[in-house]
Amino acid sequence: MKVIPFWGCMIALKYPQMEKAVRYSMDKLGVELVDEPRFSCCPDPIYFKAADKLTWLTLAARNIALAEEHELDIITMCSGCTSTLCEANYHLKKDPELREKVNKSLKAIGREFRGTINVRHVVTLLRDDIGMEKLKHSIERPLKDVKVAIHYGCHLLKPSEIMRVDDPVIPKILQEIIEITGATPINHKEYLLCCGKACQDHELMLNMSADVFESIHASKADCLGLICPTCFDSFDLGQIRVARKVNKEYNLPVIYYFQMLALAQGASLEEVGIKYHKILPREFVMKLQRSGELAAV
Amino acid sequence: MKDKKSTNMKTIDYSFRERLNKVLGGFGHNYCYQCGACVADCPTHRHLDEFNPRTIILKALFGFEDELIGSDSIIWNCTNCYNCHERCPQEVSPIEVIIALKNLSIEKETNPPVVLNIVDRVKKTGSTVSLTELAQKRRAELDLPSYKMDCIDELEKLFKLREML
Ligand code: SF4
Ligand code: SF4
Repeated sequence: MKVIPFWGCMIALKYPQMEKAVRYSMDKLGVELVDEPRFSCCPDPIYFKAADKLTWLTLAARNIALAEEHELDIITMCSGCTSTLCEANYHLKKDPELREKVNKSLKAIGREFRGTINVRHVVTLLRDDIGMEKLKHSIERPLKDVKVAIHYGCHLLKPSEIMRVDDPVIPKILQEIIEITGATPINHKEYLLCCGKACQDHELMLNMSADVFESIHASKADCLGLICPTCFDSFDLGQIRVARKVNKEYNLPVIYYFQMLALAQGASLEEVGIKYHKILPREFVMKLQRSGELAAV
Repeated sequence: MKDKKSTNMKTIDYSFRERLNKVLGGFGHNYCYQCGACVADCPTHRHLDEFNPRTIILKALFGFEDELIGSDSIIWNCTNCYNCHERCPQEVSPIEVIIALKNLSIEKETNPPVVLNIVDRVKKTGSTVSLTELAQKRRAELDLPSYKMDCIDELEKLFKLREML
């Protein structure tokens, strides 16, 4: 199977450990990644879209058009890229007038949006194309005893008629793929809450994140598991700011799903770049090590 | 004689609504029947009482331009979570109306600076995150291919077509 990965700016330039983990897992699963060096930023669905929706759509269409030239689907690893590219692909396929408008611009650079490929978040590739059986067979060192509190993030699931990933009210996709790594998904009250990153009022953002931390703290999970680099930003680096604000140390490690999967598939802690995380309690690292009898960080 | 202003009566500003209608996703506000289904699951409303997607759409229906896209408008506190989009029975998509309003505030230059800073960065580098030495170093440590984003030539042409940005 061949797909085009759309790494996006956050993963490639801020959290390359996530890119590494996805590459590791895809290699194990026999998925060939065809990199496209002409991609730009998706562009970002918060600020760029707030500036001008039509330019946002045009740049997104250009990225999709590049993948169309390969006749391959795009897989996204960041929920922001997923939001932009899925939404653009959906609207441009559905609305011929809009497509014409955008294509008029793309013509100036010799490109065209044709609507011939799909854009999908990589977790749907695991579930729908690779399949749970094959995924299970790729596990070499199950992450036994690791309790993971899930944070879905907003843009994997919504708008649901565009994303079509899972039920946005009672999703289960992340529970299922976490279970496969041997870890235990832990329920907590605020697992669907937003990380608050887009709010301009800083206070508001910290309060939202604090609610998530309180909820996970009460669940007694070992870590927070997620699939979005922006949420990661809010919860790893951002945890320091939240802790200062509410005057409480959560000391809650945050882990990107593919880091867990790669570890369970045999990668070392070093290979998945755990040491780059800001919040990294010793007990957690030891637990990961014990689970997989992995090499030291 | 009664001073007209002292009655404090506001009238609907249809011209503002027409401008909103023309932005992608802005037209949805016309379908709102003020049921309030969008409010309960709005995370910003939960933390900030005066932020309310229903009343934002109501103000759009009245055409209250200054309140919606004046400086420091509350619309910039939307988290972009799409809960209101999921709940609305009328396909208003309050979030898309809010983003359309943000597009209009760019024309008035009432947007927070971060918005155009991001656009500028994309224009200049193709990316929203700057390529730092630390990132290069980490990519090398992780044995990842060196980072490429070869698109500025084409982006430049596309930006030229949209004068506003
Ligand atoms: S936007 Fe939709 S959900 Fe909100 S009040 Fe209007 S009709 Fe109801
Ligand atoms: S998208 Fe904005 S307005 Fe809608 S529910 Fe989320 S925070 Fe509230």
